[in-house]
Amino acid sequence: MPDWAKIVRQRLANLALEDDDPAQVFDEIASHLEENYRSLLNEGCSEEEALCRTLADAGDWQVLRKKIELSRKKEFTVPQRVKQFWIPALLTLFCSMVLLMLIQFFGPQPTILGSSSKLRITPVAVVYISWLITLPFVGAAGAYLSTRAGGRPRAVFTSIIFPILPYLAFFLVGLPVALILDDRVAHNITIPAFFVGLCAWVIFPGVALLAGGLAAQY
Amino acid sequence: MIGVGIKKGTAELAILSVLEDGPLHGYELSRRIEKQTRGALSFSLAALYPMLYRMEQRRWIRGAWETSSNGRRRRCYRLTAEGKKKLSPLRAEWLELFGALRRLTKVSNA
Repeated sequence: MPDWAKIVRQRLANLALEDDDPAQVFDEIASHLEENYRSLLNEGCSEEEALCRTLADAGDWQVLRKKIELSRKKEFTVPQRVKQFWIPALLTLFCSMVLLMLIQFFGPQPTILGSSSKLRITPVAVVYISWLITLPFVGAAGAYLSTRAGGRPRAVFTSIIFPILPYLAFFLVGLPVALILDDRVAHNITIPAFFVGLCAWVIFPGVALLAGGLAAQY
Repeated sequence: MIGVGIKKGTAELAILSVLEDGPLHGYELSRRIEKQTRGALSFSLAALYPMLYRMEQRRWIRGAWETSSNGRRRRCYRLTAEGKKKLSPLRAEWLELFGALRRLTKVSNA
């Protein structure tokens, strides 16, 4: 019986693996060749013929060495969660913010909403209608990217509405905290301001994003 | 005879499908594929092991050294949960491709 481990070690002597021990690969290939050799003997081949055929079946050892080295290199793969949620979500956030900035600089003047006719002391919400008109396209892009990456409905939905989440966090956390800690916030307009601001920066953009995102699903 | 390009694409599906039936070591795996495809698909050493190592790195399969009843040490590969998940979309993709090719080339089973 040929010493397959020795044959493999000699022929793959230059095998260089990043983290792994080449001995494992040598043992595995040797085990394969030994099985092949035994099988040929069982089929009636002579020892010499079995040896020649086994070595011939192994093919070019340099090709084998290079392919093994390549296959053992660490592959960079983007995690599913990043493809299905983070990339679409951050892209929708980035696009919506850039669009808002461009509209603020170059677009038409915003509409200013007061809380009610009775309490129209100060403008409490600034609504960029032209921004709202662009948001369905942003939502559609987020939905498309998330769906294409195989995202589940929850990931797709969150990707679509991601741009409004910072505003929602502000209204749910930032504003109440400011009311408690900062005496200079005018308390007489806070409740109407909260609802009008919520509509202008969360509800309206959310509906616009969802309209585009859901339309992109069909 | 099936060309090299097509074989490359089918290799992952072939390995995952065969391992679905149970763990196998490399030699047995290649023999099983060759037998089940009546020789249409066969793996050389340079095709089989790099493919197995790549699939192991992707965590579709897991290899572990085992000692057989006759005392020989062999590295057996088994399908992981991730590999099982990968198998059904791969099958669907290939079915779609075969269907499309059948329609295009008007080749039927009859």
